[in-house]
Amino acid sequence: MAEVKKYEEPRIGVYVCHCGTNIAGSIDVKAVMEYARTLPNVIVADDYQYMCSTPGQNKIAEAIKEQKLTGIVVAACSPRLHEPTFRAATKEGGLNPFRFEMANIREQNSWVHMHQPEEATEKAKDSVRIAVAKASLLEDLIPKSVPVEKTAMVVGGGVGGMQAALDLASAGIKTYLVEKEPTIGGRMSQLDKTFPTLDCSQCILTPKMVDVFRHENIELLTYTEVEEVEGYIGNFDVTLRKKARGVITPEEATARGIIGGGCTGCGDCVEVCPVIKPNPFELGMAPMKAIYVYHPQVSPLIYTVDFDSCVKCGLCVDACGNERKAIDLDAKDELMTVKVGTVILATGYEIFPIEKKFEWGYKNYDNVITSLEFERLICASGPTGGHLIRPSDGETPKKIAFVLCAGSRDNTGVGKPYCSRFCCMYSLKHAHQVIEKIPGAVPYIFYMDIRSFGKMYEEFYYRIQDEGAKFIRGRVASILEDPVTKNLHVNAEDTLLGRPIDMEVDMVVLAAAIQPTAETEKTRRLFGVSCSQDGWLLEAHPKLNPCGTTTAGVYLAGVCQGPKDIPDTVAQAEGAASAASIPIHRGEVELEPYFAVCLEDKCAGCGMCVYQCPYGALSLIEKDGRTVMHVTEAKCKGCGTCGGFCPGGAIWMQHFTTPQIVAQIDAFLLGGEQ
Amino acid sequence: MAVKKDYKDQKLAEKLRDRKYYIPDSNPGFIKEVEKIGQTPAHMCYQCGTCTGSCPSAPRSSYRIRLFMRKAVLGLEEEVLTDPDLWLCTTCYSCTDRCPRDLAPTDTIMAMRNLAFKRDIVPRNFLKTAQLIYQTGHGVPNNDANRAARLKLGLEADPETTHKHPEYLPGIRRILDHYKLKENADRILAEGE
Repeated sequence: MAEVKKYEEPRIGVYVCHCGTNIAGSIDVKAVMEYARTLPNVIVADDYQYMCSTPGQNKIAEAIKEQKLTGIVVAACSPRLHEPTFRAATKEGGLNPFRFEMANIREQNSWVHMHQPEEATEKAKDSVRIAVAKASLLEDLIPKSVPVEKTAMVVGGGVGGMQAALDLASAGIKTYLVEKEPTIGGRMSQLDKTFPTLDCSQCILTPKMVDVFRHENIELLTYTEVEEVEGYIGNFDVTLRKKARGVITPEEATARGIIGGGCTGCGDCVEVCPVIKPNPFELGMAPMKAIYVYHPQVSPLIYTVDFDSCVKCGLCVDACGNERKAIDLDAKDELMTVKVGTVILATGYEIFPIEKKFEWGYKNYDNVITSLEFERLICASGPTGGHLIRPSDGETPKKIAFVLCAGSRDNTGVGKPYCSRFCCMYSLKHAHQVIEKIPGAVPYIFYMDIRSFGKMYEEFYYRIQDEGAKFIRGRVASILEDPVTKNLHVNAEDTLLGRPIDMEVDMVVLAAAIQPTAETEKTRRLFGVSCSQDGWLLEAHPKLNPCGTTTAGVYLAGVCQGPKDIPDTVAQAEGAASAASIPIHRGEVELEPYFAVCLEDKCAGCGMCVYQCPYGALSLIEKDGRTVMHVTEAKCKGCGTCGGFCPGGAIWMQHFTTPQIVAQIDAFLLGGEQ
Repeated sequence: MAVKKDYKDQKLAEKLRDRKYYIPDSNPGFIKEVEKIGQTPAHMCYQCGTCTGSCPSAPRSSYRIRLFMRKAVLGLEEEVLTDPDLWLCTTCYSCTDRCPRDLAPTDTIMAMRNLAFKRDIVPRNFLKTAQLIYQTGHGVPNNDANRAARLKLGLEADPETTHKHPEYLPGIRRILDHYKLKENADRILAEGE
């Protein structure tokens, strides 16, 4: 371990970056550099075109050696961008990397004050003066390492979660795959075909589901939800609620001493169950018993009792018989805790309740359906055996209108302001399916823009247009139902003709917007992950860290981070799995040493800080016969809540100490006139 | 700037006139002025056509509210303010209810009507309506046929408006006088005779 060095007096080097014209375009860099030379403790001040370049970094390293500097200030971009770069340069010169301070004169100055060069230059001088004041008081800090548990968890068993779990497991990491539904497969298992290849969705998904089920490193936990999360990267303690399933697996049966027992998926129980309710997998368009599987390809093939509707008549128990003894109607929820090193969230999406846009009449008019309902109706294993029918009369529709951007790109506050990103493509696919399955049928696609951005997508658009789909550029203004025929009048403007349209069709399919699942909000709070305004989970950086989050050790995969299609979801899942495996393979993680330190001789042991801490990092311990506060360093995020609060000034926030902050404030207020 | 073509025949000259959009023909300040009066960010229109699709006037006329939004954004001030279609909006606000960009196209139209009125460009029937309001407090005053119909329905012959309470007419006239609406209507109508 590196030793902590102390120096007689501070000797600071200041470097002002031009960043090409990004900074030098509005700030007088030379003037800022000259000003820095007049500041107390500053030994060297210099400027350079690009401080982040190799020659720029070498300037820092060489000056540290030659001038025996004790602190470095670089006035450049945001520390989010180049703090690691300059810390490395500081270390290269032989100083502790935490003896570096950055003054942001780009994002918070030159870019926002582009047209006020004089004021911008003055502000840059202030920033440099403040940074020098802090740099003069910086101390050596030694990062701590914590070991990483060699297991991972994936929350959500859709195609993204499955791919992430498979990748982690295949890399030799024991992975818990947690899914709230009784089966994995997610939204993709509800789809009929996938664009642009027209692969059967189930055909390409089922083998993956089987792989997940069979993988020796994956522990599949279906019908399970995350209840509580404690800990930090490398050491998460996750409490899971295994919801009462009422049916036991062969393994569970063996554990209970019922040899050869457990659910075999035979379905004998379903025959006798007297309770009928709508099947949510079929969006309520098919019946389901109170003991059920959603569809024949579920994984695991284990039945589930819906205790909300089960009348506990026991007929299923009798049908199951004394040998298998798979059904336990007295089952209760069970809690289990697992320890994992990293976590991937893949909580997916749900359809926006499009009935809120009342002008389209969904749930009011029988023949207005959503695109997901269309998927089930056109799917061979769906409730109609793949025959697309009108819900009002069971007739085959011949003229079908597809309404794109239904609730997406909507700034009214009712719909969603974002583009849901895959509706254009699946609606093209729907148009193809209509033409393919129903002779003489014509799909009319009401669109604003066709966003066919992916590989082979524009070619798919070409193909569907060639097949005879009709495209009308105009957003649908309203839909009215003919009360007698139940046909629908679609009102819009053909904006290319500049003429209003009243089109009578047999059926309307709304390409409804998507939104995060109802459980996403709860789950993200448990794991301490931020979300953007629209509820999608927030990545650490939209371009350079799209799988990570601001919580170390928690990663994102798939639509929970923002709308994306299957290829993008799978790609991000593989990225997230790779990112989540890095700390596990390294075996330990280094934590930034910004944690609180208890000055035990000043601590009165009042314990107020313990209640203040948002991360549960503090506790009271007995030491040398006194009660003092103790910091669990790996949990502490260095937020400073306790340090700002402590009535006795007994908490020292490393790298943000009270003397350092006071020096910064003084430097700003006194304007360098001390 | 539009290229002039020297056709002797007036009809042919109109038929073949240069219709390109030239930037100097547009007034970039126009949309700002319209937004200031209309209090809606009309430049955010993405031309989806929900407004025209909702419009009860569009199927019966050449009125295309989406085109007016477009022309306003492009600053085609002359074209917009002299277009008689500008006055075909019934101000039912269906477009405003449904606009996915949460704009108020109706208010944009009203703003452009305001600007047209400032240049005395206004249809005669609007001015006559203004005169009627000044005289009776109603754009469409009650008449004998209506009175008979009301009595038949068991209502009073005149509604609870200035018809029954003419004492409120001076107040209405004061408002109209303040904005010189009657004065301008009289003047423009007289000039048009």
